[in-house]
Amino acid sequence: MREVICVTKRYRFSAAHRLYVKGFSDEENARIFDACSNPNGHGHDYYLECRISGDINPETGMLMNPEELDRIVDPVIGELDNKRLDVEVAYFREYQPTGENILRYLWERLRGQLGDRQIHLRLSETSSSYFEYFEESNYPYEC
Amino acid sequence: MASRKLLTKKMEFSASHSYWRPEWNEERNKDMFGKFASPHGHGHNYSLEVTVEGEIDTETGMIVNLYDLKTLMKEVLIDFDHKHLNKDNPRFEKLIPTTENVAKVLWEIFQEKLSDNGQCSLYRIRLYETPDLYVDYWRS
Repeated sequence: MREVICVTKRYRFSAAHRLYVKGFSDEENARIFDACSNPNGHGHDYYLECRISGDINPETGMLMNPEELDRIVDPVIGELDNKRLDVEVAYFREYQPTGENILRYLWERLRGQLGDRQIHLRLSETSSSYFEYFEESNYPYEC
Repeated sequence: MASRKLLTKKMEFSASHSYWRPEWNEERNKDMFGKFASPHGHGHNYSLEVTVEGEIDTETGMIVNLYDLKTLMKEVLIDFDHKHLNKDNPRFEKLIPTTENVAKVLWEIFQEKLSDNGQCSLYRIRLYETPDLYVDYWRS
């Protein structure tokens, strides 16, 4: 029998965005992006669940010290917290600040810093929508 | 295609634990456990989710009687609730009660308690230390 352990830590940040295509009229954007294209923007409380799986370190009894995870995740989240993403964050001037792209950005920023640990990220934009990003080798994910 | 049927029951308990190995000096403890290092400990309101897997009984319509599972969880948690896990629970005499290890110990206890049950088997233990930090433990 194989032992499986996952530690999940949830982080929150609040950000505003507007989804739109620059060359399109407000009407065209409204047709594609609906309420998300309000020209003045709108915001969400995002929750990022960062899940790490691996083995318990026998010395510390931990898989990863949550403090160490905070040191990696907090600054990345901090750059998005209380920002208008498509205006104030360079990446989202290039890519639509959709939940999918925000999660891809977070994955790209965090993946390299977490070494060879298996990670699984989940971003909730509202209580009824969330997005997931993980490596195929980590699939099917049983948690 | 085979289907899986799961049932989860949740229960809260409050306990303290300390991240401190007495055989290490203060510097090493602080180095390994960071801000959590203290011989005195700190506490949490834990939330335990026990997930079992089994077939739905044709007569009762249940995988397991939730009342029986609740009674079992209450019995098991007597040794955890309002306890200092390092000092009051012999299972943590030599094992640091990190959330990972508490989840592992709870898996072992519930697996044993449910082993002769005939109805369902333990599928997963999920243990929330805080609403923002939890551990999943299972064996497959």
